[in-house]
Amino acid sequence: MSAHRMSDPLDRRRFLTAAALRGATVVGTGVIGATALGAVDADAVFAAPLRRPLDPAVPAGAFVEGRITSIDGGVLEVAGSHGDYARVRVTGATSVWKVRPTTAASIETGDGLYARGVPMPDGTVAADAVWVNIVNLHTTIRGIEKTRLHLAHGSHEIVGNLLPATSSASYSGAAPTADLSGLRIGQGAQVLGAWRPSDDSVDIVRVAVGPGAGHRR
Amino acid sequence: MACGSTSLGNGEATWFCCGNAWGPCAAAGGGACGTCKSSALQAAWPNASKACWDITRPDLCGEKLPRRGCGSAIKVRHLCSGASVCVTVSDCGPRTRSFCGESSCCDGVCRSNRVIDLTPAAFSVIGSLSSGTLPVSLYE
Repeated sequence: MSAHRMSDPLDRRRFLTAAALRGATVVGTGVIGATALGAVDADAVFAAPLRRPLDPAVPAGAFVEGRITSIDGGVLEVAGSHGDYARVRVTGATSVWKVRPTTAASIETGDGLYARGVPMPDGTVAADAVWVNIVNLHTTIRGIEKTRLHLAHGSHEIVGNLLPATSSASYSGAAPTADLSGLRIGQGAQVLGAWRPSDDSVDIVRVAVGPGAGHRR
Repeated sequence: MACGSTSLGNGEATWFCCGNAWGPCAAAGGGACGTCKSSALQAAWPNASKACWDITRPDLCGEKLPRRGCGSAIKVRHLCSGASVCVTVSDCGPRTRSFCGESSCCDGVCRSNRVIDLTPAAFSVIGSLSSGTLPVSLYE
């Protein structure tokens, strides 16, 4: 672990802590993903694990799950699904995902949230990454239309919205493609997307289908 | 809970929601073990029980995953970054047989077949939820 830490060009945890303590909140300004040290590649930031610090003064990572009940400046008030409560601080170093890498300006009251970050002395969590409304569901395709899929998730039906230039399909582990013509009714499908609280549908980012039982590549 | 260093194999890790939750996950419930929560460091294992195995059937994809029941500890390590998380088995899954041969890659190295499903809390320790899958090694 020490090797990873020493090789980090930018210790995101320390940066986040510093950013939060300095009040470097930039929610709504459209510069999330950029830092004082330069632009941050969104994919790399989301993929970068938040490592346990060597310095015991720097606390271990925190995870927050729930729905946003209010937004006060750079702080998201979050009601956890198990009755807990948290405040998530969004800073200039926070990466935000909502269907795609985006800015904190797209976060709304009522959204669902998963956040990864660092607990701060004031009780907030300084977020390293925030995933808004993200879902990853194992479903069965029940219907196919030009602009949407009808999906069964357990005993529930879900409408999956197909988004031009966004929705893709992965067939049997192959690279995602914009060609969705290979999807079939009855197929088991893993759907990565973003829930829409307004109508309970899901915006589909990627749908993965496999060859099924007993088929090896 | 203690995670060891004995290899359990490797493959793809995916993520899922469970417990009380928002959106389509609201109906997920506590999983096969009744204790699963999205915000806890937990996982679904394809061989959590005989009944579970009959659903997931990793053997149809060539995977020989041992029986590990509710509460078992498994360390999940990202194949490339080395980041790891220790989780407890709290549900049955993923449905390995539905995605035989599917691969996840990093730095030109790939691992095939879904062998473990992590909660969002656990998955986010070693990678991004928006990636959906990660190549991992498993230990106990």
